[in-house]
Amino acid sequence: MTINEGEFVVIVGLSGAGKSTFIRSINRMVTPTDGELYVEDENILNLKGKDLRRLRTKVGMIFQNYNLVNRSSVFKNTISGRLGHTGTFRSIFNLYPKEDKLKAYENLKRVNIEKYIYQRADQLSGGQQQRVSIARVLTQDPKLILADEPVASLDPPTSHQVMQYLKRINKEDNITTIVNLHFIDMAMEYADRIIGMRDGEVVFDGPVSEVSEKTLKKSIIVRFAKMI
Amino acid sequence: MSQILPPKPHQKKKRLRNWLIFIILGIIYVWAFKGIYERADWSVFDNLGEKFNRVIPKLFNPDWAETEKVWEYLVETVFIAYAGTLIAAILAVPFGFWAAKNMVKSPIWNTLGKWILILDRTFPELILAILFVITVGPGPFAGVLTIGLTAFGMLGKLYAEIIESIDMKVVEAMEANGANKMQILFYAIFPQVLPEFLSFALYRFEIDIRASTILGLVGAGGIGTLIVIAAANRNWEQLGLILLGIIIVVSLIDFVSTKIRKTFSIINESCLFLEQLFFIYIFFN
Repeated sequence: MTINEGEFVVIVGLSGAGKSTFIRSINRMVTPTDGELYVEDENILNLKGKDLRRLRTKVGMIFQNYNLVNRSSVFKNTISGRLGHTGTFRSIFNLYPKEDKLKAYENLKRVNIEKYIYQRADQLSGGQQQRVSIARVLTQDPKLILADEPVASLDPPTSHQVMQYLKRINKEDNITTIVNLHFIDMAMEYADRIIGMRDGEVVFDGPVSEVSEKTLKKSIIVRFAKMI
Repeated sequence: MSQILPPKPHQKKKRLRNWLIFIILGIIYVWAFKGIYERADWSVFDNLGEKFNRVIPKLFNPDWAETEKVWEYLVETVFIAYAGTLIAAILAVPFGFWAAKNMVKSPIWNTLGKWILILDRTFPELILAILFVITVGPGPFAGVLTIGLTAFGMLGKLYAEIIESIDMKVVEAMEANGANKMQILFYAIFPQVLPEFLSFALYRFEIDIRASTILGLVGAGGIGTLIVIAAANRNWEQLGLILLGIIIVVSLIDFVSTKIRKTFSIINESCLFLEQLFFIYIFFN
């Protein structure tokens, strides 16, 4: 399977289908047992130490629980996206170059959260925290964004807002985006391409236009029906 | 409407067991008190009032002429506690990380860290104080080392527990954006643990103030030295002043430290940064 540059791919499937494992293999948060995985023509399965960190600097990740440092400010959380680009000494003493600080602020503006810049992260609502984590990922200057169930803890309107931000960033910056979702309707609305997974296997892979009633039935809906 | 709950199982057996326990406990109590009554040396209580009369009123009549001397020793006591707690609070940080399950990959290495802290906690304070008085000579320095080593064991364990309770997902997020180990330490772990570290260090300081008042009993400096002398000379007026001083100082420090610890729970970013600087300063010295 190949994921092309600039694509917005949504992976759908039930819990335990292997979506998270799939997505986490791409930045080696988990290591696949065999096979090959190329990111920008580099086989990443054997990367270690410094090379692995270089890969992770290129690949941004967004999590279901936002994973912000609660006690730190929104700004500090955002600038932590620069850690992979900044030396240890400079980052520990908060000596970021001015461009980096401005970049973090610009990205907070892009997700409309800049007025909370000096607030503590845990004072924000879930949707706001997820936007901060999008700003953090953007500050990282990634080539690829992985989002692991980014809206699973949010209410429907907030979920759509977060998805719209992801979609817009994908289009404007041409950043390849891979999102895990378990709502098929939301996947249909935002994706360029959908990958359906079941029991660790890819059971569907194609553009949204090809997702018909029939394929859906075959791959996902039948499973839902069986479970109910 | 009127439903009946299903009967509880083994009710009879349970009741019988409870009665049996009750009766056995009763027999043990009767036997114990009877033994105390028969063997106790009741002459201790003869002239009790007279003995108390000789000491107690004098305790409540402190000898104010000694204020300066008592004050001097009280300050020394506080300084012993402060220096000791400072040593422990710093020494406990690396050991806390060593003994935290989620920071050390090898379980054997991790258990070794835990065992070192357990070993340290098995030493009673006074025994350590006696050892240090023998090795470095009597005086406040022996007291500082004693407090430092005893507080270190407890703080190390508490720090390890704090570290084990942090949100590892934040660490994961930092790993995912390419941060190295040092950066993860400063960005994901320290903000989560430092306020708690400081809060527990302050709490331990409260304990150490009380602990350092008795170190003088074995010659390790502080107000205890005066207590031994006053008690040996039956100088109850002076002892009264000493006790009064201890009560005032201990309650004052408890009060202030509780206030400070409360503000830690609503700590803000700038404070955190200062703490980090403080720890960096310590690391590089």
